[in-house]
Amino acid sequence: MQLIGASRTHAGRYGWPVMAATWCMAGVLSVASAAEPVSVQYPIAPQGSHNGVDVPQPIDFPHDIHTRDNKINCLYCHTYGRQSKVAGIPPTSKCMGCHSVIATDKPRIQQLTEFWEKKQPIPWLKVHDVPDFVHFTHEKHLKRFIFDNPEVMNDLSVDTVAPVCALCHGDLRAKTVAKKDKPMTMGWCVSCHEKNGGPGDCWQCHK
Amino acid sequence: MSLKNLVTDWPRYRQGIEEGGFQHYEHRWGMAIDLNACIGCNACSTACYAENNLAVVGKERFAKGHFMHWMRIERYWDENYAEQQHPEQGAHFMPMLCQQCGAAPCEPVCPVVATYHTPDGLNAQVYNRCIGSRYCNNNCPYRVRYFNFWSYYESSWPEPLNLQLNPDLTVRDKGVMEKCTFCVQRIRVAKDKARMENRKVKDGEFTTACAQACPTSAITFGDLMDQDSAVTRLWAKHEVSRYDDKGRPVQEQNKAHPELRGYRVLEELNVDPSVMYLERVREELA
Repeated sequence: MQLIGASRTHAGRYGWPVMAATWCMAGVLSVASAAEPVSVQYPIAPQGSHNGVDVPQPIDFPHDIHTRDNKINCLYCHTYGRQSKVAGIPPTSKCMGCHSVIATDKPRIQQLTEFWEKKQPIPWLKVHDVPDFVHFTHEKHLKRFIFDNPEVMNDLSVDTVAPVCALCHGDLRAKTVAKKDKPMTMGWCVSCHEKNGGPGDCWQCHK
Repeated sequence: MSLKNLVTDWPRYRQGIEEGGFQHYEHRWGMAIDLNACIGCNACSTACYAENNLAVVGKERFAKGHFMHWMRIERYWDENYAEQQHPEQGAHFMPMLCQQCGAAPCEPVCPVVATYHTPDGLNAQVYNRCIGSRYCNNNCPYRVRYFNFWSYYESSWPEPLNLQLNPDLTVRDKGVMEKCTFCVQRIRVAKDKARMENRKVKDGEFTTACAQACPTSAITFGDLMDQDSAVTRLWAKHEVSRYDDKGRPVQEQNKAHPELRGYRVLEELNVDPSVMYLERVREELA
C-alpha cells in the first residue's frame, strides 16, 4: 500500500521521464568520471554488525552487478527515499525500462519478463524492517547525509551515495541479494544519533 | 533515550516552575477551549478514538473503570439545579484531556522514566518503556492517564474496522499507560515537512483531531512560542499567562474584568498546564 501511494505522489510531482532522465544522466556521468573511488568524509558510522539470515527473494537480484559494475545510482531504483518515509522497491516497469533490451537471454531476466508479461507484481520480500512502533523517515536522513552534504552533492554518483546507504544497509556494491547487515537495534540507532548530532528525544522515533 | 539525555535534558526541560521554568522550548504546543462554544456533543472524543487507535472497551469494562478515552467530556450540574430558575440550561460541559503540564506531577514518579518531558513541552509517554506501575495515574490531578487492562490487537477490531487503524501510531499492548499526546503524529509530520522545506511550522498548518472535529470550533490548537499564532493571541486576549511580570508562576488569573474568561484548571497546583479554558457565561441564576 505504501508503495502505491508513494509512486502516485512521485509521478504527480515529477513524472517518470524527467526523473529517469536525471538519474540516467547521473549514472552516465559517473561512469565517465569515476575511474578511481572518490575519498569522501562521511558521517561517523554506527558500530556493530549483524549476520542476518538470507531472505529468499523470488528472483536473486544482483545488487553488485547494478551498482559496482554498471554504476547505477541507488536512488535511481529506490527513488522514493528522497521524498518519503520508505525508499521503496521499484515497480517492474522500471526494471523493464532497461531489461526489455539488456541481457534478455539471462535466466533471471527471463523470470522477470515472465512476471511482466503476466502483468503480476514481483513478490519481493522486505529485508530491513523496523518495528511498527518506530517512526523512521528516509527523507530526513537522505537530506542530512546526501542532499545537504556538499561532498556528496559535488560528485553525485553511486560511489558517493552507496556509502551513505551502507551506514544502515551494508555496502550493496559487494552484495548480490540484499541481506541484513547491521543490528538495527535502538542502541545502534542512538549511537549514530549521538555521534552525528541527531535528535535524542524518545518521541522523535517512538510512536 | 540515552543516559546522557536522561541526565541532562530531561531535568532541564522540566526545570521547576519555582526556578522560573524552562523558557526555551522549540515549540510549546498549547490549546484554548471555549466552554461558551462547547455543546458537549462528544465529537472531539470520537475523533480521538479514530485518530489514536483507541480501544472501545464496552459497557462492562467501562463500569469497572477500564475505559481508555484520552479525551472525555465532563459534565457538572449546579447544586439543586432542578429547583433553579433555568433548569433547562442543563449541565456544564468541560472537555478534559491531558493538560501537557510544564511541571507535570506524573513525570518524576515514574520508576522507569517512561514518561518524560519533550523539547516541545509535551508530556511524552513511551509505551515500550512503560512497565505499568500506574504511579503516574495516581499522581495526575486531572485523571487523564489511562491504563490498558486488556490486549487490543489489530485482530480485536471487528472487520472491517481493523482497516481504519492509524498506521502513524502503535496499537498499544496490555499493561501500559496511555494518554493524550496532542496528536504527536501530526506534529511530527508537520515538523518533518517544515524541516524538509527549511522553514518553521506555520500556525494552522495542522491541528489535533479533536480541534479538527469540533463542530463549533471551540478548540484552538497552536504553538505558544509563536507570538502570532491564534492560540497565543487568545491566551493574551484573556490575559492568561504562565508567568506574571516578575517571572513568578501565576497561581490564579485575574478575574476582575467580566470579559476575561480565561483560566487553567487547578492552576493553584502550579503544574503549569498548556490548556486554557474560557469560562461559560450563563444567565444569572436566582
